Amino acid sequence: MTSIGTGYDLSNSVFSPDGRNFQVEYAAKAVENGGTAIGIRCKDGVVLAVEKIITSKLLKPGANKKIATVDRHVGIVSAGLNPDGRHFVARARDEASSWRNVYKAPVPTSALANRLGSYVQAFTLYSSVRPFGVTSIVGGWDSESELAVDGQVGTGPKSGAGGRVEGAKAGGPGLYMIEPSGLYWGYYGAATGKGRQAAKAELEKLDLVSGNLSLVDAVKEAARIIYVAHEDSKDKDFELEMTWISSLDGPTKGRHEEVPKELFEEAENAAKKALEGEDDEEDEGAKGTANEGERMEE
Amino acid sequence: MIGHGATGMLGEDGIHVDMNHLKSGEVNLGTSIMAINFKDGVILGADSRTTTGAYIANRVTDKLTQVHDTIWCCRSGSAADTQAVADIVAYHLNMYGITNNEHPSTQVAASLFQELCYENKDMLSAGIIIAGYDPRHGGQVYSIPLGGSLHKQPFSIGGSGSTYIYGYCDANWKEDMTEEEGIKFVRGALQEAIKWDGSSGGVIRLVVLTSKGAVRHLYLPDTGYTGPGATQS
Amino acid sequence: MAGFDFSNHNRNVALHARGVPLPKATSTGTTIVGCCYDGGVVIAADTRATSGPIVADKNCEKLHYIAPKIWCAGAGTAADTEFTTALISSNIELHSLSTGRPPRVITCMTMLKQHLFRYQGHIGAYLVVAGVDPTGVGLFTVHAHGSTDKLPYVTMGSGSLAAMSVFESMWKPNLSREDAINLSAEAIKAGIFNDLGSGSNVDVCVIQQDGPTQLLRNYMKPNERGEKERNYRFPKGTTAWLNQKVVLKEDMKKYVVVEEVSGDKDLAMDVDS
Repeated sequence: MTSIGTGYDLSNSVFSPDGRNFQVEYAAKAVENGGTAIGIRCKDGVVLAVEKIITSKLLKPGANKKIATVDRHVGIVSAGLNPDGRHFVARARDEASSWRNVYKAPVPTSALANRLGSYVQAFTLYSSVRPFGVTSIVGGWDSESELAVDGQVGTGPKSGAGGRVEGAKAGGPGLYMIEPSGLYWGYYGAATGKGRQAAKAELEKLDLVSGNLSLVDAVKEAARIIYVAHEDSKDKDFELEMTWISSLDGPTKGRHEEVPKELFEEAENAAKKALEGEDDEEDEGAKGTANEGERMEE
Repeated sequence: MIGHGATGMLGEDGIHVDMNHLKSGEVNLGTSIMAINFKDGVILGADSRTTTGAYIANRVTDKLTQVHDTIWCCRSGSAADTQAVADIVAYHLNMYGITNNEHPSTQVAASLFQELCYENKDMLSAGIIIAGYDPRHGGQVYSIPLGGSLHKQPFSIGGSGSTYIYGYCDANWKEDMTEEEGIKFVRGALQEAIKWDGSSGGVIRLVVLTSKGAVRHLYLPDTGYTGPGATQS
Repeated sequence: MAGFDFSNHNRNVALHARGVPLPKATSTGTTIVGCCYDGGVVIAADTRATSGPIVADKNCEKLHYIAPKIWCAGAGTAADTEFTTALISSNIELHSLSTGRPPRVITCMTMLKQHLFRYQGHIGAYLVVAGVDPTGVGLFTVHAHGSTDKLPYVTMGSGSLAAMSVFESMWKPNLSREDAINLSAEAIKAGIFNDLGSGSNVDVCVIQQDGPTQLLRNYMKPNERGEKERNYRFPKGTTAWLNQKVVLKEDMKKYVVVEEVSGDKDLAMDVDS
């Protein structure tokens, strides 16, 4: 960065001559030091996972959750400055409830991501504020069934609405990542934080685009990826945190919830085991499930 | 079924309608309006009489108001109030379509109408029926009577003329009617409402909302409300 | 003492409770009409302004300018129609300047209805809005509470019933310019002659798609004061008058001075004796 020290990095509302906003770039630096956070979008749901670095042995294990529920069907996980993440979540909750107030229906994940993107972007415009020091992953499930207006009385004709186009796609999973600049994209798999490079490499191997990965498998993959991403900062202790949102007929019934203890432990154990296998330099290549074995051949 | 009591609250005797809640000189839609679900969508219908006291201020009023491509409403009560509410909702639905890059559903329209009608209930005399079609949910009919509650219904009737056709509608209503049957049902009901209600009259206007879009119909008293039928929208 | 003084309000409430009616704003009993024709629109109005039972102005103007090709006819509270149309005219001009386009009738109608709705009928302006714009001919009515109607021919004001009867019996589609002017004037005359609140002359405004707007002030004067059958002026010298001063006998007294003269008492006694 040749422009450092020229004064162009001091204020938000000033561009450098080559068109950069250094404050935003420094904010991105803050994110790069945060614990790895990932999101996986599959056909029947979304998984969010995060590597929570334990900064003190006096912290209560399992407390101080990093993944937050914004509305019944939406969760957010952030990497970067934790307080910024908390503020971001508070804003997301306000947006979700204001949507409910006006439209008497849950906010679509895409609309929420859009509003949050606009909110974050506004913090890159003024000299009186600094940009958000977080990159946040927003995961949600938009109901695929017909939604009633909150507070309505009655249900219409017994035979159901006429003229409905059957098979029309409606609702489904949503996964978005919002960066300190306000930029946001929709993803099949998203990763941010310190171990994002390793995590992205692993996510890409999953071939999420084809839609073959099931939600339960995605939970296991998410656990494994967080463990893989942690490899580079092995000296630090961490806790794995995972939440998921399934379709209406899935295990969470369209709600954002913590992954149940049983599945969580299964996934974490498998993740640890997979890493041990890697450490053993493939001396027992086909250890673990057949599925995992196939993947390791790639 | 929810009646709209569109001409006002009932008086002390519980029978006669108190018209005094309308500010003096205010334009009133002494009205017969209705909307129904049918096999392929929804049909809205209304008479065309607008009154100021005993005078017919407009005999060919259009009480079927478009608030989005395939979301329409029937207005009853104060003309000024319902026009203002419909204008505001139309604006918000337009904005919704632009900002969210998708057509608003009928539910969204209904909740916007309800929010306005409930929060401003002290200042409004508006009985509104919302009917809309979208490919995901099909046709839907919602009704918002005076207090601002929201009712999803198979079909809905409203306005002063509706009191005369509860029997007709109850006897003739069927679910999953064809378009032809639906039009006949609405036209027949409104014809009766016009016949018995002094505050309703003029022509019968219909709007049919299906996957093919909105089609207007017009039926004139000169020919006993038999035609001309569908007109370009 | 600081603050507002509500004693007059309390007095008014007390008076009202005892049956004293609230004072009424000046309302113009009026006939105004509008009528579309092929290629333009005509609006017309009578010219009587009233204040209670008094004719306040025998030849007032009820046709208001909004834009070169948008005009309004106003009924209701005179001040309200005057100021509302002036306000909207101003805003329309600014809007037209900022968009660089000729203003539209529907824009004017929307601004009027939103303004009037905001005031919940307390602005007593009942208007006929007419004009031509690039989208075609527009003719609307706007009521004081903010409701609007779009029709090929419209009437408003206390004479609207009389005027509408003319339209309902004589209007037909595809009128010519002259037909529309005549029909509108005829409708106003019905108001002038059959409605107590309307009277005097007919004002007409013709707004054409191709051609300038024409304001035909006093297009008809059906109530011209006629020549009197007889002349009631007296010829000079009809009244007799005197050119000499007459002093009455009684008045003479004030010209006479009576003086008492004192005499010798003894002498008077002598006479008696």
